[in-house]
Amino acid sequence: MAFFGFDTTLPRDRNGPGARGFFENPDPFADIARANALGDDDVIDFEDTYDGLGDQLPDDQDEFNDDTFGTSSADKSVGRDFDFFGKTAQVSDAIGEEQVRFSLQNPNAGRVAPQPAQVPVQPTAPQTTKRSGYEKYSDPGYIPDLQAKSSVWGVSQKKPEPASAVAAAAPSRKMMSLEEVEAQMRYHGHNTATPAAEAFLRSMVEQPQFPSQLQHLQTLPDGFPLVPPEFIQAQMKQGHLPPQMPHPPPGMPELYGGPGHMPPSGPLHMMQNTNLPPQNLPPPGPRHGPHQAQRPQRPQQPQQPQQPLQHQQVLPPTRSSNNGMPVITNPQQLMHLTEEQRNTYLVEDAKRAKRNHKIFLLSRGNGLMTPQDKNFITRIQLQQLVAAAGNIADADPEAVLAEDFYYQVYSQIRGAPRQHPHQPLGHFAQTYLLQTGNRLGGHRRGNFQSADNHMQRMQQQVQRAVEAAKAKPKNKQLIIEGSLGKISFSNAKAPKPMLNIKRPDSSEGPKPKKQSDLSLSDRKSILTNLEGVYSALMAMEDMERTMPPPPEEGDAEAIQEHMEWRQKLHSLNQKLWRSLKVMEPIVPNSTTPHPFIAFLSYPKGKKAIPRIFRHIDQEQRVTILTMIVVHLDSLDVVRLAQPVPGEAQPSLGVREAIDLFSLAVMPCLLGYVNEAPFNIIIGLLGLVINQTHVQTVARTKVGLGILTMLLSRAEIVKEAGQASEHDWQQWVEKFNVLFDTLELGLNEIFPGSISSGDDMYVWQFLAAVGIGASPEQQQRLVIAVKDRVMETVGYSKTLPADMGSQRLNNVNLFMRAIGLDVELLG
Amino acid sequence: MLFFSFFKTLTNQTVTIELKNDIRIRGILKSVDQYLNIKLDDIEVLDLAKYPHLSSVKNMFIRGSVVRYVMLPRSEVDVGLLEDATRREAANQAGKAR
Repeated sequence: MAFFGFDTTLPRDRNGPGARGFFENPDPFADIARANALGDDDVIDFEDTYDGLGDQLPDDQDEFNDDTFGTSSADKSVGRDFDFFGKTAQVSDAIGEEQVRFSLQNPNAGRVAPQPAQVPVQPTAPQTTKRSGYEKYSDPGYIPDLQAKSSVWGVSQKKPEPASAVAAAAPSRKMMSLEEVEAQMRYHGHNTATPAAEAFLRSMVEQPQFPSQLQHLQTLPDGFPLVPPEFIQAQMKQGHLPPQMPHPPPGMPELYGGPGHMPPSGPLHMMQNTNLPPQNLPPPGPRHGPHQAQRPQRPQQPQQPQQPLQHQQVLPPTRSSNNGMPVITNPQQLMHLTEEQRNTYLVEDAKRAKRNHKIFLLSRGNGLMTPQDKNFITRIQLQQLVAAAGNIADADPEAVLAEDFYYQVYSQIRGAPRQHPHQPLGHFAQTYLLQTGNRLGGHRRGNFQSADNHMQRMQQQVQRAVEAAKAKPKNKQLIIEGSLGKISFSNAKAPKPMLNIKRPDSSEGPKPKKQSDLSLSDRKSILTNLEGVYSALMAMEDMERTMPPPPEEGDAEAIQEHMEWRQKLHSLNQKLWRSLKVMEPIVPNSTTPHPFIAFLSYPKGKKAIPRIFRHIDQEQRVTILTMIVVHLDSLDVVRLAQPVPGEAQPSLGVREAIDLFSLAVMPCLLGYVNEAPFNIIIGLLGLVINQTHVQTVARTKVGLGILTMLLSRAEIVKEAGQASEHDWQQWVEKFNVLFDTLELGLNEIFPGSISSGDDMYVWQFLAAVGIGASPEQQQRLVIAVKDRVMETVGYSKTLPADMGSQRLNNVNLFMRAIGLDVELLG
Repeated sequence: MLFFSFFKTLTNQTVTIELKNDIRIRGILKSVDQYLNIKLDDIEVLDLAKYPHLSSVKNMFIRGSVVRYVMLPRSEVDVGLLEDATRREAANQAGKAR
């Protein structure tokens, strides 16, 4: 079709040896036409077989045709309406290309097109050629999928088409769609071997060139459901072919499908019919080979006008169309070749045979495992991978604790929160999943079929494997040998640092500047010390958790382990001790508090004391106690707790601090004092008297508490008779000094007014004093506090019964200590 | 992980969540994930008159990034432990950064 005289030939239709596209391979089916051109040389005349087939067809197994091409009626009903392309492609190259794309996507389109009437008349098939266009499949490295689907073919067939069409070196070639080829093969497959085929087979076996010819046979495109190599070999072993062999003999491997799919006669038969024209070829004549390279699904177009050039080339059916080699379709053809050609041919054949043998060896295991089997194996491998990674994580509860400390410890302390199905997927969930292994998730999707689970399990395992790999970066850095830098890996948890600066060791941190006033930096250094204490504490607590079991006798390794552990613990203890700054020199008359006292002025410093006391030895404890006693009047809970005239009690913050100190620090001190030797008690009392302002101390709850502690301990020691005479003398001296100092301010040790509630600690102190006091001192004591006693007794009568009796009991503590009772006051 | 760890201990507690668009929702914390996405049950929108479209919502899933505040029951928080957990987290981070 020429518009305005332009050359409308499609590029792919232009002939010319140089016009070949990037596809090296010529038209796979070109040889059909070529063989057609060689028709004269064929032993078996095309016409013989052609007529016979045409007659046989309608009677024989037509039902398969319907399967293959769709029902004839359907075809008719479909008609040509859909084929917009067929018309338009003649107009435009662009649309032609579009159609190529379309046909790539719809390989089935070709199925509909062939006219049912024409089906019987298309017995051509790809020929065994030197260059079939499928050489790439013969590549030793390429393992063909022998069960390739037709869709695969549709694709691979289309690609070489344009280029090979352009080449058009072969005269009278007609492109056939793969579907057509397949259909033909299938058709022939269903028709058992024709006499001609048998004759051919027989002749083939008897040929002296048999092996090469045999190899030749095997070079049929691999994807075709053709004679499997095994079959050929079987034939060779038998030495002959059974005369009528529609199907492989019993016991033959039927790897590639049922017998119907691969009757041996199929390909062989097709070889006989190579000179049959493709279905939509017009009858031979001047128009022979209407080579428009149209897709066969457009059989209505063979009448397309030919370009003269094309026409000319098409007409003379030259034999050396391709590369000067004739197409050998029959062993006897070899006889007609020149010696040189034959040699070349045989060499080529040997090469091909080698390749095919290799393919055969490689493909021996093809299809042994189903996709499900492969999935299963993959799953097992993944499972092991994940299990290996997971076990490492499981074996390290410390790592879990580090990541999820709050939750883990909170759960242990308060009991784990109720388990519920929607619990977030954490380490526990992962552990759970790992332990259950292949039952994973099964209970949730019990209704699903196992085939479905297969892939889901796979996915989950891959996911876990990836997660495990992510969670455990083996090395944070990769240092390639000989390179100047490091490659650091990053993940979400530890992003890649932009700068890699080495930090100075944290223990080298700035020392607190004791000389400066309580400036920000000082406060900062105190808080830094505090955090140092806490980190040391936590390290020690971790150490305690990982304490190795007590070594048994003779177990050198365990003993060694234990020793190392103790060593580490000791160094941590030293670190803790340094951070506490207890041993900092005491600067007399300094305006800034001692670091340790400053430490104690923070709530978290007070809270740390009980934990610290668990990890330090007695000597360190007494040092701390001494430190506190020496600085008793500079302790915040003493200094700030001085009663202010006009205010019943200290401010809320101070009261909280006092409460905290009483709850956190005092029990520790008391715990130590209760076991302390007497001389230490004496020394501590001496320190209180000498180093502190006793009257100030005595006006606070904490100060009185410490005094009570010391006094009561001394009394217990005396009662137990553990005190030596000399010690007791020393104690009494100190006590007397204390008593004399306190006597003047005894009335001021009571907090605020009588109604201000908690004065129990005062009565406890008075009781402690009273027990240790001499009778003369007791009398002075009673005189000093008599007013308060009477007031309290009177006040308690105005209170509700339980509160009143509590107040009376407090007073009675003191009264009984000096041998009296509130009852006596009546 | 600290916040994730922390919020995990609050599951099945009643919390009030204020979103960045000022909606406040009280409900039972059912679960929380690593992104601090939150699932609430038996929810109650605090000023419902302003958000009538939420009146029929019984439970919800809140993307963590839209949460402004979570108001917690104080009794359920172990402050000392949380302090220590915070210290550990800081130490972990420092260790990783190094």
